[in-house]
Amino acid sequence: MKMNLRVRLLGTIIGAIVLFFVFSVVAARLTLGRDLNELGRSEVKSGGQAFDGYWTSHRDQIKLLVTQDAASDSLRKLVAAHDTKTLQDQLGNIARTTGFSFLTVVDAHGRVLARANNASLGTLATNKFVQRALTGETVSTAALLASSELAPEGLADQATSTVKTASGATAGTLDSGLALIAAAPVTDLNERTIGVVYGGILMNHSLDLVDAAKAALGGSTALLDGNAIVASTIKLPDGTIAADLAVPAYDTSVKSGASFTGVQTIGGTEYLSRMEPIKTDQGDIIGALWYGIPLSQITSIINNTTWSLLLWGLVAMVVALMVSIPIVGRLSDALGRRSRQVRSAAKDLGVAIVGSEVSGDHVSQTRATVERSGALIDDLAKGATDPKFAELKSLNDELQGDIIVIDTLSQEMASRMKDAVTRVNELNDVAAGLNKLVSGDTE
Amino acid sequence: MADVIFYFASNADTMIATKALKDAGVVSKMIPKPASVQSAANLCVSLDSGAEGSARGALIAAGVSLGGVAK
Repeated sequence: MKMNLRVRLLGTIIGAIVLFFVFSVVAARLTLGRDLNELGRSEVKSGGQAFDGYWTSHRDQIKLLVTQDAASDSLRKLVAAHDTKTLQDQLGNIARTTGFSFLTVVDAHGRVLARANNASLGTLATNKFVQRALTGETVSTAALLASSELAPEGLADQATSTVKTASGATAGTLDSGLALIAAAPVTDLNERTIGVVYGGILMNHSLDLVDAAKAALGGSTALLDGNAIVASTIKLPDGTIAADLAVPAYDTSVKSGASFTGVQTIGGTEYLSRMEPIKTDQGDIIGALWYGIPLSQITSIINNTTWSLLLWGLVAMVVALMVSIPIVGRLSDALGRRSRQVRSAAKDLGVAIVGSEVSGDHVSQTRATVERSGALIDDLAKGATDPKFAELKSLNDELQGDIIVIDTLSQEMASRMKDAVTRVNELNDVAAGLNKLVSGDTE
Repeated sequence: MADVIFYFASNADTMIATKALKDAGVVSKMIPKPASVQSAANLCVSLDSGAEGSARGALIAAGVSLGGVAK
């Protein structure tokens, strides 16, 4: 391919546009990546904190319901009367309408009077929350309940599971359940504690809270019992919901009390996520609230912007070429015409120079001839008496003067022609350079 | 004719003067420089004394510097 002016100019234009868009795309990707990552982190931080607020609100709601039950006049009378049958019916109704996983009433010694889920009784005298409530304290907290505590409520199976890693390997087993519980004392008319209402919601494999939080906040939510997801809205590639999956970041940061913000891969999907620790009312960390958005939301924006830039870049290149091709063509043609004119003029000048040089030589020869002729006429005129000799001599003198003028002019022109030769050679070089530039030809 | 001789600094100036006088309609003739005239040029211009004034005007109009005049 000849690298003529048209090719070079168009190549330069295309190169400039390509470079412009490559730099633009790289800069846009870097800037978008940084800014969207910051925005995403801010969003998941807000989402995580809002989820924490949701969790706290839920805990307070449970406390309120249990406290209201404990203060209920009818329930107080039933506790005082140890009316187990009626109590069980009433607790069952309350649990169903409030969504409690379990609701139990004990007497002043911790002996179970009635359970919402189960007719079996037993004792909760060793239960630390019941013990605290029997002292008059209203307890409200997140808690890990051992399967032995959940079994009498018929909830042990819901809390027991095998935890797996991302690769599918078994990471351990869960034999305790994450719950929000409340325990409130039941007092008689003399303000003496005659029993305790103890109830709560077991979170393991329960989607009510995470679904409600997801509906309110967007993104995905999950609850961690220790380092294991026990309830979530995270969808796995097979369409199921992620549960009983280990989250390694819990052990490295949240377990020590710090919040975590970063990218995590769960079920094969990358999430920009935030984890807030779940603490008991004693300050112990027993799990985490997880909130995240798929990283693909951010990367798809970056990719869409990149493709959009590339597409518009292509359009700009086509438009630029449509505009520039005729301009470059006209410019190239004009330069080509000028180049040919210069070459032609240089060629003509070359002929003129040669002609001038040859003419000069001939004038010099003529001057020598006229001078010899003059010398001969002078000799003849010396002894001649014929007046025509004198006239001939006068004419010859005039002719000699003219030929001297002509020769002098010729020499003057010859001197100037030497300069002209140099200039013409330069013109030829310029013309050849122009021709090479315009056409790409070396000749 | 040949009453007045105009001479110039160079042969090139003499050539340009000759052309200027011709264009102005002044009759003149280029001749070899007489031995009595002191000039670097080998040529000079002779003209009739009656045309001297118009010749000077033509040279001034053409921007040609006159080296001297011999009569």
